[in-house]
Amino acid sequence: MRQGRLIATGAMLAFCLFALWQSLLLSLTDRLGPGPGFFPFWLALIGTVLAVALLFTTFREPADPADAEVRILPQGPGVRRWLAIVVLVAATAVAMEVIGFRLAMLAFNAALVIALGERRWWLIGVFAIGGSFGVHYIFTRWLDVLLPDGLIWG
Amino acid sequence: MDALNHLLAGFAAALSFKYLMFALVGCVLGTLIGVLPGLGPAAGTAILIPLTFSLDATGAIIMLCAIYYGAMYGGTITSVLLNVPGEAASVVTCIDGYQMALQGRAGTALAIAAIGSFVGGTLATVALVMVATPLATLALKFGPVEFFALMVAGLCLVVGLAGKNMLAALLMTVIGLLFAMIGVDPVRGAPRFTFGVEELYDGIGFVPVVMGLFGVAELLLAAEQRQARIIQANLNKWMPTKEERRASVGAIGRGTVVGFVLGLIPGVGAIVPTFMAYVIEKRVSKTPERFGKGAIEGVASAETANNAYANAAMVPLLALGIPSSPTIAVLMGAFIINGITPGPFLFQEQPTLVWTVIASFFVGNALLLILNLPLVGLWAKLLKIPFSYMCTGVLIFCIIGAYGLKQSMFDVWVMLGFGIIGYLLRKLDFPIAPAILALILGPMMEKSLRTTLEISGGSFAIFLERPVALVLLTVPVIVLGALLLRPKTFSKLRESDVD
Repeated sequence: MRQGRLIATGAMLAFCLFALWQSLLLSLTDRLGPGPGFFPFWLALIGTVLAVALLFTTFREPADPADAEVRILPQGPGVRRWLAIVVLVAATAVAMEVIGFRLAMLAFNAALVIALGERRWWLIGVFAIGGSFGVHYIFTRWLDVLLPDGLIWG
Repeated sequence: MDALNHLLAGFAAALSFKYLMFALVGCVLGTLIGVLPGLGPAAGTAILIPLTFSLDATGAIIMLCAIYYGAMYGGTITSVLLNVPGEAASVVTCIDGYQMALQGRAGTALAIAAIGSFVGGTLATVALVMVATPLATLALKFGPVEFFALMVAGLCLVVGLAGKNMLAALLMTVIGLLFAMIGVDPVRGAPRFTFGVEELYDGIGFVPVVMGLFGVAELLLAAEQRQARIIQANLNKWMPTKEERRASVGAIGRGTVVGFVLGLIPGVGAIVPTFMAYVIEKRVSKTPERFGKGAIEGVASAETANNAYANAAMVPLLALGIPSSPTIAVLMGAFIINGITPGPFLFQEQPTLVWTVIASFFVGNALLLILNLPLVGLWAKLLKIPFSYMCTGVLIFCIIGAYGLKQSMFDVWVMLGFGIIGYLLRKLDFPIAPAILALILGPMMEKSLRTTLEISGGSFAIFLERPVALVLLTVPVIVLGALLLRPKTFSKLRESDVD
């Protein structure tokens, strides 16, 4: 866990340094007062100092035996479910623009419930159709929410 | 008197069929969210925002507020029946609530929680009515100097009470503020940190970030864990006995006071009032040894404080425009989406809206009591929904919510990205609440600071010349200093009193 904290703090330090550099490209002050770069510059500077301090304190803190039991990345049987969620949401985001909300969500619903352990096909079918075509109908007709039609339905 | 007249007018509107239905739907959905383990009020309120897109501003806020306190109550059911808190504030309820369930008294535990929640929520709303208007009137005298100081004070309190590691909390606040800088500069209109990406000109969307950090991250965490065992409880017998009622009266009274007072302080979070109410109850009890073994006062005090806190936390939002917790920040985001800026001007510019919303708190609390006493068995059945369907259903809402606000697929990617970031941050014990509050307060903080410096000709001495600003900036220095000197005060309190 300590190693994970060091990596995360290092990433935040890199983010603050990047923001510091980017804010210096903007004007810090102009004749009217503070410019667009003023606030982000000071924030990034403070963030950099804090990240360095946190890196230092994390590095110096004694090893906690309880930390060894904490696994940062998913492990064991959970990893398949974890990956299924991430990959399928990403795939749906891509698919929605091409095949539209209804078909993308139909595939997403069926694939995710199967990946998470459901095996009753009739229930998977009902849920997938309800959660795609049904939800699309409710949100677009009743709640006036615009959802992507994609290239096929569009 | 003026407030009373406004409140009566608010009741007239809140009791209209339309708003009553919005409050009812909100309470039902909120309880549902609270019942589902792993989904807290912040995630629940955020993922249900798309349901309010087509509603008028008052209706949308009424529904989202009802979702909020519905979720606060719903968490109790899983605490009692599963020993798994539906949301963080219900952790304390697990201690005695689950023991009561093991003894066959689950119905009584849930009933006293519903009654305590109703009393705590209603009394806290009465106090809100009395406190909010004078506070808003006072805040009307604030200029940008005082507002900047107020936001700094609010954020510092959140940082101070956010977790074990104050450095990490401060860093998370700065990261949140830096993310808030993405987009068009609020004073000069110049684009910043956009890198030519069109979608970034509007800034990083608050809703997809919250959905990611709370909704998706919680599902990713839950995907790793095993399902808990549900107690097959007898929920038909729920009426507390005369002795139990007598034992609960004092606990409910004390829980209300603790919840309300702590709800007024930004950053305290829902878990602290419940812990504190429980600890106080154990200390005043003549038989403290019963606590942890099914003491009804333990459930009553924690649940009352929980809902009193939820209603009191609306005071800083409505009167000052300062969100005191991530869920309140989501509600603030909902206000902004609907073109309303919470704060002192709200009472002047939108009196009908604000008083209708306040009146709806009373209505919502009553609806929750009606829903939860007789329907507790029905809610308990929802615990049997398999994770596969719950997770997929929540993700459908997340995707619609992230996309629907701006019809932007970019926001779906933002949601997923922040979901993974949120998952890692939780695993690494980095506090997320300060980043969320900073993200929503960032643009306002920057605007206030830059206006202040334009007034003062670039001199920071203006903060020392304005007494209110000076006092507000002194408060966080004292709080952060005290916490730095005595960082283990809270953890010691918890260890000694809550097994």
